[in-house]
Amino acid sequence: MIEKYNILSPDFERDAPREMTLLSVISQSFFQPFSLEDNLLVILTALTSGSGVGFNRAMLFLKQGDILRGEMWLGPRSPEEAGFIWEVLSTPGIGYIEIVEHNRALVSKSEDTLSRRLKGLTFDSCEETALIPAYAACRKEILLVKDAGNEPLVDRRFLDVIGMDEFLCIPLLARDEVLGVIVLDNAITRTPISPADIKLAGLCGLIAGNYIYSATLHRKLLEMEKMAAMGEMAMFVTHQLRNPIVAIGGFADQLLQPDLPPEKASRNLAIIRDEIRRLEDIIYQMGHFLKVSMKEPAYFDPGPVLAAVFDSPEVRTKSRSLTLNIKLEACLPEVLCDPTSFGEVVRNLLDNAFDATPGGGTVSVRGYRKNSGRFVLSVRDTGRGISNPDKDQLFRPFFTTKEKGMGLGLPFIKRVMDTCGGKVEVQSRAGKGALFKLIFLSRERETTP
Amino acid sequence: MRKKILLVEDERALGLLYEEELGREGYDVTAVTDAEAALAALDKTAFDLIITDIRMPGKNGIELITQIMGLRKDIPIIINSAYQSYKEDFMTWAADAYVVKSASLDELKSKIKQLIGA
Repeated sequence: MIEKYNILSPDFERDAPREMTLLSVISQSFFQPFSLEDNLLVILTALTSGSGVGFNRAMLFLKQGDILRGEMWLGPRSPEEAGFIWEVLSTPGIGYIEIVEHNRALVSKSEDTLSRRLKGLTFDSCEETALIPAYAACRKEILLVKDAGNEPLVDRRFLDVIGMDEFLCIPLLARDEVLGVIVLDNAITRTPISPADIKLAGLCGLIAGNYIYSATLHRKLLEMEKMAAMGEMAMFVTHQLRNPIVAIGGFADQLLQPDLPPEKASRNLAIIRDEIRRLEDIIYQMGHFLKVSMKEPAYFDPGPVLAAVFDSPEVRTKSRSLTLNIKLEACLPEVLCDPTSFGEVVRNLLDNAFDATPGGGTVSVRGYRKNSGRFVLSVRDTGRGISNPDKDQLFRPFFTTKEKGMGLGLPFIKRVMDTCGGKVEVQSRAGKGALFKLIFLSRERETTP
Repeated sequence: MRKKILLVEDERALGLLYEEELGREGYDVTAVTDAEAALAALDKTAFDLIITDIRMPGKNGIELITQIMGLRKDIPIIINSAYQSYKEDFMTWAADAYVVKSASLDELKSKIKQLIGA
């Protein structure tokens, strides 16, 4: 007998030991395609939510070179606000995603006060002169500060902003490198910071440090991949532009011949016009591919977007010579993506299927749930299929098996899927058609009573 | 007698341009758009020169050259590609000339003249 468990526990277990809850919140949030900022917010949330460590307020400082810079402040501004926030956060059934969303709103609301004051703060973290909080980064030690007003090691500007005599500084470390500092206090309840709190907050600091480290590495890697793709692209563009330019130049030269018959002159002009349109198309496609900015992924109902794609004149025209078979589950879950990019991804995949399928063939689209929290949109065609060597290169920019293709469709799809935490899978054999699966993170729609 | 050139070029506009321009130079040009059609044409006609693109759907120009060499037909070959980088591929060294596509056909015309005369 086999029992199956979901990697993500859907509910926030309120009766679990707080250490477990804390680790659960943080690790589950890293599983989500939240941005670096959102994940840092999760860490601050875990440190301040009643079910986590339970500090009142948390401040995050990140190190850039020798400077420690204030980044984010999470926590209520007054006891009244604290009461309201903690009431919201302790609502039964509330999950970590809701908590993050709530706190994201809180951070942007307090942007003009707490976070702005904190963001103005920078500290020199040079070993000899550093004061708290930078001192904690230099020493790589957790510091519990009491009676801060009388402690010469505490930076006075920092003390003015925090306004508390007791606080805890946790350095964020990864591989012996200091990446930042988190400062925690109990400004609302005035509860003394206990040794157990310090232990748990220290553990949180280690996780946060390693998270920041790997997120920074990931960003660098994406940047390097982008640069490599740009280099490849520069070479490709040169070549892509050459064919139309040769045609334009050659036929223009002919136009200059005095004995060219008028019908040939008109033909040449038509060819030149077509080639210029092709150049325009190349430039458009490159621009589209280079448009790196995709909106922050959010959960939305994919139904209307899919309907718009399937009903578009382009799809109707292209599917005329073959059978387009669409089967979607009756009530689709919400998927995590940017709706515009989602539509483009589906359109791209359909285009590929139409191009690969000869007249009389079939393109089948299926939309279904896979386990909990995943929605699969698959497109199967009965076309020529993909050979094994080609399969390895499918998602490389500028790789194409099409006569007129630029090889940017699948890399675009992959980029979108990576950005929204989903993935794209392909199954195919030469001559046996192809099956592409887009796997999105999804959640069930809230039912209105 | 007009010298016969087999042109393998998948871009129809370019095929047409070369056909006309080389025709004006006094050559008899047969233009095809892929390697298979080129091999079929080679079976039927004794060409004096082959001009081939490299990137084409189906078999590419380098595969075509390799196959022609296997046929032991002693026909000079000019590679005409938009890609300069294929020059570094030793498989292209078997060709008699490598001309990067250009809006001016002067270099191509002069290579043809060198190889098979006017």
